[in-house]
Amino acid sequence: MEDRGTPLLETGSRTVSAVLPATRRDFLRISAISAGGLVLGVRLGRAAEDAVADFRPNAWVRIDPSGKVTLTVDKSEMGQGVRTSLPMILAEELEVDVDTVALIQASPGPEFQDMGTYGSRSTRTLWMPLRSAGAAAREMLVAAAAAKWGVAPSACRAEKGRVFRKESHESLGYGELATAASRLPVPASPALKPKAQWRVIGKDRRRIDAPRIVAGESLFASDVQRPGMKIGSVVRCPVVGGKPKSWDEAKAKAVPGVRMIAPVSAGLAVIADDTYAMLTAREALEPTIVWDEGANAAIGSAGMLATLGSAFEGSGTPVRRGGDVAAALATSARKIEAEYFYPYQAHAPMETMSAVADVQAGRCEIWAGSQAPNRVQTDAAKLLGIPESAVTVHVPLLGGGFGRRGRTDFVLDAVECSKVAGAPVRVIWTRSDDTRNGDFHPISLHRLSAGLDASGQPAGWRHRVSVGVFSKMTTPDAEAVRAALRGAYDTPYAIAALEAELIESASPVRTSSWRGVQHNHNVFASECFVDEVARAAGKDPLAYRLDLLRREALVPGGREGAPVDRARLATTLSLAAEKARWTNPLKAGRGKGVACASYDGRTPAAVIAEVTVGAAGDWRVDRIVCAVDCGVAINPLGARAQVEGSVAWALSALSAEITLDRGRVVQSTYRDFPILRFRDMPKVETYIVPSDAAPTGMGEPPVPITTAAVANALFAASGRRVRRLPVRADDLKGA
Amino acid sequence: MPRYTIEVNGKKREIDAPEDMPLLWVLRDRLGLTGTKYGCGAGICGSCTVHIGGEAARSCQTPISAIGSERVTTIEALAAEGLKQAWIAEDVAQCGFCQAGQIMQAAALLGKTPKPADDEIDAAMNDNLCRCGTYLRIRAAIRRAAEIEGKYY
Repeated sequence: MEDRGTPLLETGSRTVSAVLPATRRDFLRISAISAGGLVLGVRLGRAAEDAVADFRPNAWVRIDPSGKVTLTVDKSEMGQGVRTSLPMILAEELEVDVDTVALIQASPGPEFQDMGTYGSRSTRTLWMPLRSAGAAAREMLVAAAAAKWGVAPSACRAEKGRVFRKESHESLGYGELATAASRLPVPASPALKPKAQWRVIGKDRRRIDAPRIVAGESLFASDVQRPGMKIGSVVRCPVVGGKPKSWDEAKAKAVPGVRMIAPVSAGLAVIADDTYAMLTAREALEPTIVWDEGANAAIGSAGMLATLGSAFEGSGTPVRRGGDVAAALATSARKIEAEYFYPYQAHAPMETMSAVADVQAGRCEIWAGSQAPNRVQTDAAKLLGIPESAVTVHVPLLGGGFGRRGRTDFVLDAVECSKVAGAPVRVIWTRSDDTRNGDFHPISLHRLSAGLDASGQPAGWRHRVSVGVFSKMTTPDAEAVRAALRGAYDTPYAIAALEAELIESASPVRTSSWRGVQHNHNVFASECFVDEVARAAGKDPLAYRLDLLRREALVPGGREGAPVDRARLATTLSLAAEKARWTNPLKAGRGKGVACASYDGRTPAAVIAEVTVGAAGDWRVDRIVCAVDCGVAINPLGARAQVEGSVAWALSALSAEITLDRGRVVQSTYRDFPILRFRDMPKVETYIVPSDAAPTGMGEPPVPITTAAVANALFAASGRRVRRLPVRADDLKGA
Repeated sequence: MPRYTIEVNGKKREIDAPEDMPLLWVLRDRLGLTGTKYGCGAGICGSCTVHIGGEAARSCQTPISAIGSERVTTIEALAAEGLKQAWIAEDVAQCGFCQAGQIMQAAALLGKTPKPADDEIDAAMNDNLCRCGTYLRIRAAIRRAAEIEGKYY
């Protein structure tokens, strides 16, 4: 099933000659193809219900007369294992070996209009459609075989790509049956296999692309080669939003192999025959550039922090869940307040931003490791003034996504460079370009207040979030505000009066999705604060949480209305506590911390961290225990990998930040923006709560709670409360 | 522009290049060996790790003029089949981008120290970065290839 050879970049060149039948009110549609065989179009994702009138499949299951099974999907592979887990779902219902399913990466077009890969939603949204498609195709193939033999379908069974006639030795391969099957009606509600009969879903399966990766053969955008291709890069003003005023290109152009220096939208393009010539020319060019630094030249981190702080004086947009918080706080026996800070963070994927574009008269072909290929198509078409249909976008593998590759800036660099060069151009960002021109996780301050009653229970809770975002919401709609407060408004605990409030300030640097998104700062603040509250009440922080989860109380709504299931979260938290042996004491200088949350109301997860803090404030994370309820874990091996990756991501966030000085991003590489190293990776134990529920996402839920659990463990070990990130040794010293 | 003859993956290659051109770009842009990756260009991340004379080396920090008669081996020609199979068996890779560098680093370690202790693995691998966080499985793969018992994730 590994895509041997080139089909990774295949555009899905199916010949669809007819679409039959035309009136089905569901998301499956059969298509006859000129070459014979069976093709089922599947409508995936949110738009499934809307697509009835104008049915546009966005995934294709194809069975060729040769028996070859092909799945065309529109999700980008960035390490989350989607190219492994999606064929598993199909193969289960279709009754074929997973290894026989060839995968084709889709390109944007009329059929593929919602290709975004983000929000931990690929598995969640594709689960039912892929099962239904597999089951429908299987039933049609069985019906075709039954008709051939003149027996009832119930006298046949499907297995390993063949239909067998029960009580005989006869069998027919799917390839032999596909064309006949394509003339049959699509079953209205194909019977899905019961869980007891699963042999693929829920079993560990190794990544299908691993053999190519270990051979050095996997193809990323930065590896794409085109005939006559040049190498380009765009020098951006060190101050965000600045423009080049003047420059001296003499030295740069004297570098052998340099083709041109040209102003483009984002700065100055340097285009050369090879990467080293481009880099050498940049070194010669950059000191000569006089920049118009624009409006942000005076901005710095200290000023941003002051802005966020003073924004608390103004009013924000409250999201209330109920109760009179002001009264509860005013009348409480004891009031606790704290302020938390979460810094800008960079994605820093190992593959810097890169893309290849080939602009020709009236059309453009792009190779981009994008999380949003449709956005690439739209933005490139707009830039070039050509129709979207004239822009072809190929999606190779992504060398890390994490949210950064949802932007199109790096792709438009390639498009503009190709346009001015009149040749295909591969644009590659340097590490410094990538760090300084990031699309950062936003900076935020959090003011939390809790009022405790005489028994130590929280009677009122207020979480005010002052956050710097690139585009302030001028007309905030309720869903957007809720999204900004993910992890704050849906605090899972039963508290009678609870209020979360959003206060936005403009950020001079771009901010956007960063693995874990808004949950990162909101959950860090609220899960550390609840720890403070528990300790103030003289209670064990884990028992305190469990107690608040087991109470009958308000049901907070998760994103898109998904309710937070307190019982599931309590079960998950209890599992983590049991596996981590929460109540076993640790030696002096060591500590345990806990945090839990239900990510968007969908994925309950809990983390218990064990840390060691030295006398000098030096610290390390020794062990992470994570329990997660992600519904059915399609590939537990992949789910565990996502937990390990989330832990590494969260631990990096504890030690790094992006800061600004005189409008410039101070950090430029992994030295000053350090990410977790081999030696610092703790032991990670993952426990998946057994579940029959539909699968949810696994790429992000452990991230925010890991950060909070470690901060809480640092308190347990040192007696010092971590209220700002990154953690500095000075903050923990003298424990 | 000077001409260099270097031996890459068992073949002599003639390259016209400036003397300070890093081996990384020789491999990727001149020889089409794109398995070796650019990660930072400063010798910090290890994505560009190759073997020069059997030693793990950062190709982004090695100018072509410094290679001389030393043999260069890249991921495309790495013979360490056992290590690669261990990498697959432990399901190490996520996005995969840094993995060639990781494997080259690990292969050099095992070449010198067939049964490395944990602190030797730490020392050898600590400067190879992975943003996906595959470190535990890298350790497991190295231990599997070295036939040392015990899993770490």
